[in-house]
This record gives sequence, structure tokens and C-alpha cells, in this order.
Amino acid sequence: MKFLVCLKQVPDSTVRVKVAADGKSIATDGITWSISPYDEYAIELALEHKDGDPSTTVSVVTVGPARSRDALRQALAMGCDDATLVTAADTVGGLDVAKALAAVVKEAKPDVVLCGKQASDDDQGLVGPALAEALGWPHVGMLTKIAAVADGVELWREIEGGHEVWTAPTPVVGLVHKSAKEPRYPSLPGIMKAKKKEIPEKDLAALGVTPGAPRAEVVAMEPPPQRGGGKILKADGDVKALAAELARLLHEEAKVL
Amino acid sequence: MATTTEAATGFDLALTEEQELAQRTARDFAREKVLPRAREIDEQGKVPRELIAEMASLGFLGIYVPETYGGAGLDALSYALVSEEINRACASTGVVMSSHVSLVVDPLLHYGSDAQKDRFLRALATGERLGCFALSEPASGSDAAAMRTSARRDGDAWMLNGTKNFITNGASADIAVVFAQTQPDGGSTGGSERAKARHRGIAAFIVEKGTPGFSVGKLEHKLGIRGSDTAQLLFQDCRVPAANLLGGAGEGFKIALSTLDGGRISIAAQAVGIARACLEDSLAYAKEREAFGKKIVEFQAIQWKLADMATEIDAARLLVWRAATLKDRGEDHILAAAQAKLFASDVAVRAARECVQIFGGYGYLTDFPAERHYRDAKITEIYEGTSEIMNLVIAEEILKE
Ligand SMILES: Cc1cc2nc3c(=O)[nH]c(=O)nc-3n(C[C@H](O)[C@H](O)[C@H](O)COP(=O)(O)OP(=O)(O)OC[C@H]3O[C@@H](n4cnc5c(N)ncnc54)[C@H](O)[C@@H]3O)c2cc1C
Repeated sequence: MKFLVCLKQVPDSTVRVKVAADGKSIATDGITWSISPYDEYAIELALEHKDGDPSTTVSVVTVGPARSRDALRQALAMGCDDATLVTAADTVGGLDVAKALAAVVKEAKPDVVLCGKQASDDDQGLVGPALAEALGWPHVGMLTKIAAVADGVELWREIEGGHEVWTAPTPVVGLVHKSAKEPRYPSLPGIMKAKKKEIPEKDLAALGVTPGAPRAEVVAMEPPPQRGGGKILKADGDVKALAAELARLLHEEAKVL
Repeated sequence: MATTTEAATGFDLALTEEQELAQRTARDFAREKVLPRAREIDEQGKVPRELIAEMASLGFLGIYVPETYGGAGLDALSYALVSEEINRACASTGVVMSSHVSLVVDPLLHYGSDAQKDRFLRALATGERLGCFALSEPASGSDAAAMRTSARRDGDAWMLNGTKNFITNGASADIAVVFAQTQPDGGSTGGSERAKARHRGIAAFIVEKGTPGFSVGKLEHKLGIRGSDTAQLLFQDCRVPAANLLGGAGEGFKIALSTLDGGRISIAAQAVGIARACLEDSLAYAKEREAFGKKIVEFQAIQWKLADMATEIDAARLLVWRAATLKDRGEDHILAAAQAKLFASDVAVRAARECVQIFGGYGYLTDFPAERHYRDAKITEIYEGTSEIMNLVIAEEILKE
């Protein structure tokens, strides 16, 4: 089976994000970049298939600025077979990203396209469904497991209190929520193997995509308000009065009762 | 009188893409898999075998061994980067790795015959088998050449007799590199001619666990790095096949010294890792803890400690990177490695002392990591050559002319 995983490079989850001087983006200098966590799960799901069936191939693609190459290199080091970088400015909108990915998918002809269910930077969850739409393929979201069956794939979705199992013909787009195992670390031998691989680069024009004016714009970004300190009520022996005071505070100040 | 010394050698501070990726894998692994268990490892006195297996599967145990021998094919600098990260999380885990890589994998790589590499290096590089390095003895540490363990030729084998002391991984290792004196009266100390003779008589052997006559003696109880086992190894008429002689019969001492030159780089990296743990934990604590209505990090007395730690850690790391770079270039790194180890271990011990101080009374409790760093840091001034021996090596190098 042939997998294609679409990934996005995002600020690492350990980065303390700061708002940039323009007040509507984040300051990116000196920050660590990573593969978006849900995309990592998608890679892991695909690689687990490859572990079980070595004839599986796993390709990765990203649409993003030149630095995204590092994320692809990391995916190769995890064990993916090949990678494609579509260079595009950070500002290109989700729909255009989906169109560019659709062009790559049409050329690569995978059986299963996997995306993370959303990227951890914007959390829009737009590209996956838009890609399925652009391709005219079915898509299933919230995946935690994929199994090959006779006439397609079995897709396990997480739902409240359990899971659903869907079957879909291939080709299909899957949006990944989690993998059973934590995504593997790139091993050192994997890193050296990845080093030997070329990462071809394409631009949007070559894929026939002309980015349109953004349909949505971020107008302002601000850090969440500072959390106020907690309040500790002193118990001076009178538990009843303490409980009454707690109830009053929860009602009048915290407004949760 | 000419007073100008030689110009310092430069080196590139930029990391390659694969060095960065290796560092990242080690950092993520250390943070997610090792750090959460560091306290338990210290308390239980054991690095779990499955943690070692995980390090093996990531390629750490054969990091700079060529791919043809099952290694990852990276370099000494990558190894220093990985060492720093692992030791940032847990110095016990760090020393299990470095004793294996620097002291066993390395001499096999450099001095092993093709047959020995096939038989032993591959299994060591993939981490299928764990190694230990047995040089020190109850009565000889710094003066390693005064060893009493003897090797007597016996047909197509060597007969080993003696006791090795303080051997890291001694109880858990599958393969030991063991040094022994092949010249009967070479072992006793004496004049300079005798000293030369005893160097010439030392040989290195590859001894497998299970070889009759080879057993593990008592396990030591230690101040720090408590998760790594330190054992006595006993050899009683232990017959080692001649094919297991590493290098020439008179090459053992050279092998030991050059192996330790490389090993010191990773101990220096370990010291940097421990010092970084001290700084990072101190920073986090000082930002939380309040005294006199202020966060203690607002006191200049605390800030200066933190500033000194940060500066010294960076300086130590630069020495480590330089020594590793020289090793990668195939250049002489005896001086650079000794300087890195001397300085970095001193930095670690000081950082650990200040870390406990910044934590105040909590620094003295096992509930917080400060006291563990304090106990762990000290060993870096002792093993693979004490600080006094580092000074001796450095002085010898700069007086060479
Ligand atoms: C936890 C641990 C793990 C170890 N792991 C290993 C291992 O895996 N393999 C192995 O072979 N060994 C190992 N060692 C042994 C270690 O390398 C020695 O302890 C160390 O080299 C010092 O030797 P010593 O203990 O005999 O001290 P000594 O050599 O007796 O030194 C005592 C003191 O005298 C000083 N001194 C000695 N000679 C001189 C001199 N010429 N000039 C000035 N001062 C001097 C020393 O610096 C020290 O301060 C380990 C030790 C420990 C504690």
C-alpha cells in the first residue's frame, strides 16, 4: 500500500510563543520548529503499516517556506521513503495549500493520503477536508487506526466512549487524531539514511496554483491574560463558616455557581 | 627569547543537519523517556535494561561506528551532543552509555582485527551486547600501569589471574575489555626503566561473560550515579583465546591511554549535561520560590550564581566541542580532551553546589533533583583520570617542546 502523509512545520510545543511586533503574528526568530503533532501521529500510523508490511511505501509532502525542509528531513529520518517540498510563503491560505497538495497527490497516486486532523499552530483543521474535496475523494476524520482489507481500508475513528470502524475504498483521505504508539524518534541510522536522500522542491506555479487573496485575515493576536493568583481560605476551626464563604466566593466572584 | 605560543586551532561552531537531528532525537528521548525516571533510577540503583535497549534501537550505542559494522556512522561531535542530552536527564544512564561507547566500542573500532570486529563490534554497536572496560584494580587507579592482573601465555590462549575494581557496567556487561600484565615482574613499581618495562608488558583482552574463571565480585555502593553498576571482576585461571588479544601483546597500555583520551570527551560532555541540569532546575525553582515577598530570582545574589553557571557551562561546552572536533579530524586531542574534562567537571561540581544552595533546605531533600546532581557531579572529577591526573597530562603536553 502506498501512503502519502501531508505535514506542516509548526513551532515546537515547548516554544514559549511571543507575539511579533506587528501585533498579528508570532515572533519566529530563534524558535525551534517541529512537525505538527497530529501529522507525526499520521506518519507513525503509516510507518506502523510499513513495519508490518515492508512493501508499504510512505511519502511525505509539505507546502511551506524553505525551513520546512527540516521537517521533511525529520520525517525521512523516522523512516519515510521520500519527501517533496512545495515552497510557498507562510501566508498562503489553507485552500491554496490544499490545491497544491491535490496536484502532488494526483502525480504520486497514493492509496491513502493522511493528514493530521489539524495543525497545532492555527488549529483550523481546514486543509485535510479541502484536499479531499479538491480530489473528489472520500475522507474520514478522527482516525486512530488503519487496517488494509480486501476492497479498501478499515478506518477506526475515535468517538465519545469508544470507536467506530468504517470501511472505505481507496484512494481515500484520512485525518489522524492519534496513533496507538507514540510517534517514533528519528533513529541515528535513520538520520544518516535520510541524509543521502534528495528532497525535490517545487513551487506553486509549477503545480498550477496561483494563490488567491486570503479569504480570512488575522487582524490581531495577543497573549492570554495573566492568570490571577489563587486564593486560599483559612480554616480557623469553623468549617461551616468556611463552606459558606467558599460558596459565596464561587457564586459572586468566580461566578461558577 | 621567543614568547609567542602557537596560534590556536579554529573550529566550526555550526552543527550539520544530521548533528542537529541527532541532538534533537537525544533531547526528545532524554526529556520524555529518561528524565521522568531519573529519580527512580537513582533510588533503585538500576538503569532499566529496556531503557538501554531503547537507546540501542535509536543507534546511540554505536553512534560513530561505520554502518558496515552496524553503527549509525555519525561522529564524535554527535556523540558529545547526545551525551550532554542524556546526562542532562540522568547521569547514571549517561555513564552506562559512555562506558560502553567510549571505552569498549571505541577500542574495538580502532584496534580490533577484522575478525574481532565481525564477532564483537557489530553486536556492541547495535547494543545487542553491553560492554565494560576493566583497567583499574584495588591497588592501582591513576597509576594504571602498576596493575597486578597477569596474563600468561598458555598454548593458543592466555591465562588471566587477578582482580579488577570499580568497573562500570561490570555486573551487566556481556563483553569486557580487560588489561593485564604479560611480563611476570613488570607489575611491581620501580625505577624509570622498570616503569617502561611494565608499560611494554601490558596487553588488552576481549573477555566474554561466561568464560570459565571469569566472575563478578562485589558490587560497590556509591555516592552518586547510583543507577550504574560498579563491580569487581575476578579472574581465576581464566583462559582467554589468543584470538581475543586486542592489538599487539605490548600495545595494551597505549590502547588504554588513547581510549581514555577519547573517553574524557564524553565525560566532559556528561559534566556539561549535569551542570545544565543544575542551571535549568535552579532557574525554574528560583522563579517560583518566594522569600521576603519576592521571587528569589529577583535577588542579585541568586542572579549572579545563575549568570556564572550559564557562562561556565557555555565555556565548558566549547571545550568539549573543540576536543570532539579534533578527534573527528583525526588530530591529536590529548590536550584538548584533558582540558575539557578538567574544566567541565569543575564546572559541574560548582554548578551542583550552587544548585543545592539556590534550592535552600529543599536542595538537601531527596524530593528535589538538586541533591542528586550534587552527588552525581562529583564522579566526573574522578573517573577516566582524576583532575590531578588531568593537570598532569595538560602540563606534560604543554611542556613537551
Ligand atoms: C563510580 C566509578 C566508576 C569507575 N569506572 C571504572 C571503569 O569502568 N573502569 C576502570 O578501569 N576504572 C573505573 N573507575 C576507576 C577510576 O578510574 C579510578 O578510581 C581513578 O582513576 C582514580 O584511581 P584510584 O581510585 O585508584 O585513586 P588513586 O590513583 O589512588 O588516587 C588517589 C588520589 O591521589 C591523586 N593522585 C594519584 N596520582 C597522582 C599524581 N601522580 N599526582 C598528583 N596526584 C595524584 C589522585 O588524583 C587522587 O586524588 C571507576 C571509579 C568509580 C568511582
